[in-house]
Order: sequence, then structure tokens, then C-alpha cells
Amino acid sequence: MTSYGLKSNRYLPPVTIQSRLLQLAAFFLFLNACALTISPAVRLRSWEVDLRWAHWVGLAAWGLMVFWVHRQFRRYTPDADPYLLPVAALLAGWGLLSIWRLDVGFGLRQTAWLMLSLTILSVGLKFPQNLDILRRYKYLFLVSGLFLTALTLVLGSNPGGVGPRLWLGCCGIYLQPSEPLKLLLIVYLSAYFAGRDMTQARLLPLLYPTLFLTGLALLILFFQRDLGTASIFVFLYAASVYMASGRRFLPLLSLLALVLLILIGYFLVDVIQVRIDTWLDPWSDPSGRAYQIVQSVLAIASGGLDGRGLGMGAPGLVPVAHSDFIFTTIGEEYGLTGAMALFALIAVVILRGFVIALRAGSTFRRLLAAGIAAYFGAQSILIIGGNLRLLPLTGVTLPFVSYGGSSLVTSFLALLILIQMSNELDEEPAPLPQPTPYLHTAALLGLGIAACALVYGWWATWRADDLLTRTDNPRRAIAERFVPRGALLDRRNQPIASVEGTIGSYRRVYHYPRLSSVVGYTHPVYGQAGLERTLDPYLRGLQGVPTLQVWWEHLLYGTPPAGLHARLSLDLTIQVIADDQMSGKRGAVILMNAQTGEILVMASHPTYDANQLDETIFQASHAPLLNRATQGLYPAGDILLPFLRAEYGQRTVSSSEQELLYARLGLYESPQIRLPTSLSDNRTPLRLSPAQLIRAAAALSTGGTCPARQLVMAVETPIQGWVILPALEQPSPCLSAEGVANLFAEVPGPFWGYTGRGQSASEQQETSESVAWFMGGTLPGWQGTPLVVVVALENESRSLARSLGLSVLEAAIR
Amino acid sequence: MSALLLLGLRILAAAALYAFIGWTLYLLWRSLQQEAVFLSSRKVTPLKLQIQDSRQSVPILRFTQGSILIGRDPTCDVVLEDATASAHHARLTFHHSQWWLEDLQSTNGTKLNGEHVETPAIVVNGDNIQCGQTVLLVELE
Repeated sequence: MTSYGLKSNRYLPPVTIQSRLLQLAAFFLFLNACALTISPAVRLRSWEVDLRWAHWVGLAAWGLMVFWVHRQFRRYTPDADPYLLPVAALLAGWGLLSIWRLDVGFGLRQTAWLMLSLTILSVGLKFPQNLDILRRYKYLFLVSGLFLTALTLVLGSNPGGVGPRLWLGCCGIYLQPSEPLKLLLIVYLSAYFAGRDMTQARLLPLLYPTLFLTGLALLILFFQRDLGTASIFVFLYAASVYMASGRRFLPLLSLLALVLLILIGYFLVDVIQVRIDTWLDPWSDPSGRAYQIVQSVLAIASGGLDGRGLGMGAPGLVPVAHSDFIFTTIGEEYGLTGAMALFALIAVVILRGFVIALRAGSTFRRLLAAGIAAYFGAQSILIIGGNLRLLPLTGVTLPFVSYGGSSLVTSFLALLILIQMSNELDEEPAPLPQPTPYLHTAALLGLGIAACALVYGWWATWRADDLLTRTDNPRRAIAERFVPRGALLDRRNQPIASVEGTIGSYRRVYHYPRLSSVVGYTHPVYGQAGLERTLDPYLRGLQGVPTLQVWWEHLLYGTPPAGLHARLSLDLTIQVIADDQMSGKRGAVILMNAQTGEILVMASHPTYDANQLDETIFQASHAPLLNRATQGLYPAGDILLPFLRAEYGQRTVSSSEQELLYARLGLYESPQIRLPTSLSDNRTPLRLSPAQLIRAAAALSTGGTCPARQLVMAVETPIQGWVILPALEQPSPCLSAEGVANLFAEVPGPFWGYTGRGQSASEQQETSESVAWFMGGTLPGWQGTPLVVVVALENESRSLARSLGLSVLEAAIR
Repeated sequence: MSALLLLGLRILAAAALYAFIGWTLYLLWRSLQQEAVFLSSRKVTPLKLQIQDSRQSVPILRFTQGSILIGRDPTCDVVLEDATASAHHARLTFHHSQWWLEDLQSTNGTKLNGEHVETPAIVVNGDNIQCGQTVLLVELE
């Protein structure tokens, strides 16, 4: 091996440079192919899986064909630019592997197209007179290209079945004539401008033929709804005229024309309207028209800095990931690191194109090379910018990378022209009257790529956290299939919710469905509710686990670590009794340890089965999703009288005194028990949830102290075992002990109990709503565990509420 | 285990990718350097001119710049004291590794080895150039 360090100042022949760069590219692709092969084992964390082998076919074909092209290069164009072929081969191989990773069928087809493209390239290298033929028959080529494109208006089809019909073909082979048409336009414009004196004052008459043909092409594309290709045509035309004539007003005029075109299209063509609308505001319709672009940005956020690794992401969630959104696929699986490399590679192609243009021996060749470089650059920026929401989304391909036979063949044909042109070393560069148009065009493309890089960084780092926690990010649900979610346990470690199944198909199972209104659900489509939602960071393993471990698991697998189990204060044995009593009724029961504030029973009926979620539950009029214990706001009615009696005796109480007492009892505050709660916004008439009332009721059992309510007791961390979660509230004195003692002076025991009725004003409500309250508990002197219960029943009698409450209390004491 | 392997592959692949780009950029920089060195080393072949004058001995003029203007005008590199020569009569330039003679539309024309120069012509050692009445002898090193 020859050394190529700094010390050797000797000349490296282009063939050697190209050979070494190709070896590096092959090494890169080989490593990626290995990674893709073992990716299923990593996802499922076991070697007992079917590894992926199919893509090696594509890599082998890539290797053989590139080797052949390189040999042809050495033989026929040994002095040509040695960077273009390795960069293009790397891009094509990278795209090929990504396509295989997405879909084996598309991968196979792309492999065939790549073989065809490279065959054309290596055969074409033999014929250096290609350029003269192109120049001589420029009209013939362009007109036939236009004819084929026009033919798609009549005979067009779409291989995918739906969408714009831009393809010609049958029997499984499809050609998109607008792809080669871009190249033909560049050839035509270069040949036309090179033959004329473009510096003369009256430029317009010279432009008529080109305007006519370009306009014709635009018209066809406009009818085809091919917005992306039309934009590229306008750009290429403007760039060609600008570089040939050096008139600065022309690019500006073209920009104006493009804006005008888009404006007209916006009002006339629905496709363009959709694209522009979703570009300006994708967040208003993320699951409908803007689904693609939102999912694309989500995928990039998921890739972050380092990417998920080939085969480890979920790029298939973005529609047409293999073609228009191949950049997103690369972004998700290679991250910012890979995307920046991709930008650099595209920049190298553009740069070399312009270098070849400046060194070209004739104006025709110079315009042609610069046009091709502009075509590569503009098309890359257009689709990458579309993927990143920097530009409106247009359906063009990423040259060399995207799936698509016509695009691949065209890209390699353009590459062939550049390589052959760069081989003519002995030619003196043609005179260059004005260098600035070339420099400006190259600088504009460079700025475009820089803008893409900046926007990429914005999505992948700055906005990533916000994006990834969106409910329409399916990756959260996918991660839950591969990482067990923590279980929810009752106070005796009886499972309430846990996961079943094996890795890759974990499924949430609710063992006690009647608690669904409290526990909630976690569902790939419907999202999360209840405790599943509020405890999600623990159950998902993002909280309670060392940050380093979270980072490491994310780096290795792209998932959070295994979730933590959470223990609730609920007691399933009593919960069953309460639920049995409540069946068929509407309302809620809460049983609480009056001393510690631990909630032993929380029943809300009617409820639903979180194992069987469907639309009807969400639309049901009896609101089963509502947790009536914490979110049901019922008119307080006369249930609060005992508190007034305990505090103020038999005397009349002013409204300010009453408010003061209620505030002390916490009736104006939401319970802090890690559950969604509701709070009434007006104080008269007061509406209460049972969870609000029970803290006040507990004061009657403890002799005046309101406890700190608690529903979630502890989580099981991997390092410290069960860790107590502190209560979010503080116990506080609410009533005078003396007043409570006086209140119960004549109560025989062991329980105290009060009923009440709350009635909402019927003129405000469509249906008159009444609630039967019961609160009761052990007397302050009780020797056992002090307990307190609150029952709220909709449209039932107070005696029923009372007997229901007492039976729950008795069951708890037993 | 498989995850660590995959992580290693990912890191290696990223390294290979950046090696590719880094090496490409390094080579592009090197070729830029080489081009600059090459252009600066592309020396002009020194050219000596001797004005043929039988009356007096004229010193031999040696030129190392790439362009020599010949004429009656005092600003010329070779000033001719000859009424039949034009102010800016002819120019010798060095490009493509050759010295080229071109006539600057002089009144009486320029001759190379006795033949009129219509288009730029290559000058070799021992050629004589005639501007008006004056004859210059070319000597290349």
C-alpha cells in the first residue's frame, strides 16, 4: 500500500484516488449491511430470530457493478475527476440499503435499476463523442422528451395505483419521462445559448425559442400536477440564462414567475393548495392532510444526534418513505451525524460540477456542466427542504438516493457527462467573460444546503423533545411492544394492570377492568388516560431510573428502559365489594384511611373495560371514561351541614365564616393524588367531587385533622427497590377537636354517618340532576384503623347511599 | 450483546463515512495547493532579442516576463528607433509553453523569417522578426 501522508508531496493519480475512495465507500456500506443483518436480533434482544440477509444481494450487485465502472474509468477516462463517481456510488449504495431496509420488493427493483444505470455509465465511458451528438441533435432530443412527457397526459399511469399519473409503461416496468426531460432541457439550453452572442443589448428576441419550449414543458407539467419538476424547470431555465448572459434581472424575473405560477396554482389546483397549506401550518391537521410532513419531522426528531441505527427506527411510518421521503429514513436511522454527511456529499457533487464547468473547453460544455450541477443541487434541496418543512413538499426524488428507475438512470447519465467532460485535460479553458453568474449560482445552492442543515438541527435537537412527546408519535406505542411497561399493583401486590406476551408483542392487560375509570388505559390509537397517563414517566422507565441508564438504553435500542412497577393504596378485596354494590348505579364510592389518607377504594360507575377500547366508549352518553370519584362535580346540597355544626354549633353562620371553614377543609382545592381532577369554578352553589369531600370527612373521624390523601404509594426502582412516593399534600388541622366531640356526643358507634342531597337548579340543566350523598366513618375514639367513606349516587335515594356506604365500611373493618 | 455489536458497527460506519468525506476534502485541498504550486512554477522561458544594426553594436535584451511589446512608443519593452515601425507594432507572448508573435495591426506589417504574420505564430530559437526596417534576432534559452 502506498502512503499518502503529508510528507509525500507527489502527485496522486486520479485513478488511485478514486479507487481508495470507492474502497472506503464499500467499507461503509459493508458495515451498514452487517448492522442491518443483526438489527432484528437487537430489536428483540435475542439471537433466536430471523436475521435479515436479503439486502446482501443489493450490496453484491453494487460492488460488482462499481468495480466494473471503475475499470472502465481507468481504461477510458483516467484523467477524469476522481471524486464524482465515488460520491455518487456512495449515495446510490446508501439509498439502496435504505430501500432494502424499508421494503425488500422495492430493494430488488432498485438493484435492477442501479445495475442498468451503472451499465449505461460504464458503456458510455467508451464513447467520448457523446457530447457532440447531444449538441447536434438538441432539438430532436428535447422534442422527443416533450412528446413522451405529453404522452403521459393520455397514457399515463402510476405504478402505485393511486396518485398523479406521471409514468409510462407496462408489464411492471415504468418510466417517468419528466426525469430525463430535465437533462434534455439543460442540454438544449446550453447548446442554444452557446451558439449565440448573449451579451448583446436586445436579449429578448434571442430567448423566444427557449421561452417557447420551456413554457411548453411547464404547461405539460402543470397539467400533470407535477409541481416539483415544474419548479426545477423554472430554476434551471433561470440559472442557464443567467450564467449565459450575466443579466441579473433574469433570475429575479424567474423568481417572480415562479411565485406567480404558485399563486395561480394555489387557487386553481387543489394539490398545490394542499401542499402550501400544510407547509404553512401542518399542526392544524397532523393526522389528515399534513400527516406526511408531520410524521417526517417526527422521524427526524426521533433520529436525534446519533440516529437509531440502520434497521432500528420506524421510518416506514412516513408514507412513500422509499422515494420522496428517503431523506427522512436516513435522518431517523443515522441522525444528525448522517444527515450532515449527506449534505457534505451533495455539496461535493455541486462543487465538482462547477469546477468542471469553469475548466471546460467550450461555452457549451461550461453551461452544460454548470446546468447539471445546478440540477443536482436544486433537486436535492427541493426534496430535502420539503422533508424538513423548509419548503413546500413536492414529489421529486433525491438524486442517486431515492427509489425510482428513471431518476437513477438520469442521474447517472448526467454524471457520465460530467466525468467525460473532466477527462479533457489538455484543453485550455474557454474564455469566461463574466465569472460572477457561476459563482452566484453555486453560492445560492450552497446557501440552500446550509439552510437545510440548520433546519435539520432545529428539528433534531431543539424541537425534538416537544415533538417526540406528541400523542401522534407512534414510536411511543411501538416502544411499548418491545419494552415491558411497569405494572400497577394494589397494596397487597395484586396486579391491577400488567404486560403479557413476549418481546416485540407486549400487550397491556387489565386484570381488574372495573377499575378502568380510575386506572385509565394506554393504547396505541386512543392514547392514555387515568393513572396510566399520570404515572407514565414511571411506568415507562423514564423517571426513577438513573439518567445515564435511560441515555444508554436509548442509544442502544432507541427505547426507554424497562418500566417501574407502581404500588397503589387500593385494596382489591374491598374494592370488589364496593364495585359489586355499585353495579348498575351511577356515582362513586371512596374509602380512605382517615389517619394516613391512603385511599383504599375508589369506585366510579358506570365504568368500561380498558381491555376492550373502542369508539363507542368515547361517545357513550353515560360517560364511562369519567372518573366520577375525582372528576364528577356534584352539588354539595346539605351534606356540608355537619361541618358547620361541628365548628360553629347551632348558631347561624355568616357566609364569610362558611367560606373560611370550607377553605380550611380544602373544598376549594383539587385533590393532589396523581390523578386528573376537576374543580368547580364558582363557589355558590358549591359543587364537589367525592375525592374533595373525603378529606373533610376524614377530619370527623380523626377528631379534627385533615389527612394528606394518597393513591400511589411506591415505585420499584432497579437500584433501591421499593421507594415510597411522598404524598403531595400535607395533613392539616381543619376542625376543632372539641367541636367534633360535641357533634358525636350522642352517637352510639361504632360509626358516624350523614346523608345529604344535592340538587342542581333544573332551569339551568336540561334534565334535573340530583345526587344522594353519604359520608360516614369510624368515631374518633375507634381503636382500629380509622376509616372514612364517601358515597355519591346520581338520582338515587339517600337511604340507598347510606346502606351502600355502611356496607363498604363494615366490609373494610372485617 | 447484539446491541453492543450494532453500536460498534454504527460507530465504525460513521467513522468510515467521515473518513470518506474528510479524505475527499483533504484531497481537494491538496489539489488546490498543487494547482497553485504548479501555476507558480510554470516559468517563462527567457527570451533574448538582438536588434540587427550594422552601424552600431546594440546590447542583447533578455526578457523573463510573459509579454513583450515592440514598437516606436517609449513605453514599449523594445523601443525601435525606426520611422517605418508603428507605435505599438507587435507583441510576443508566452503561453502553452511557447513564445507567440502577433502583429498589432501595424502599418507596415510584421514578418517572421521573411513571411508576413497574419495570425499569432510560434517563435523558435534563431528566428528573425522584422518590424518595419528593423530586424530582431530571437534566441531562446
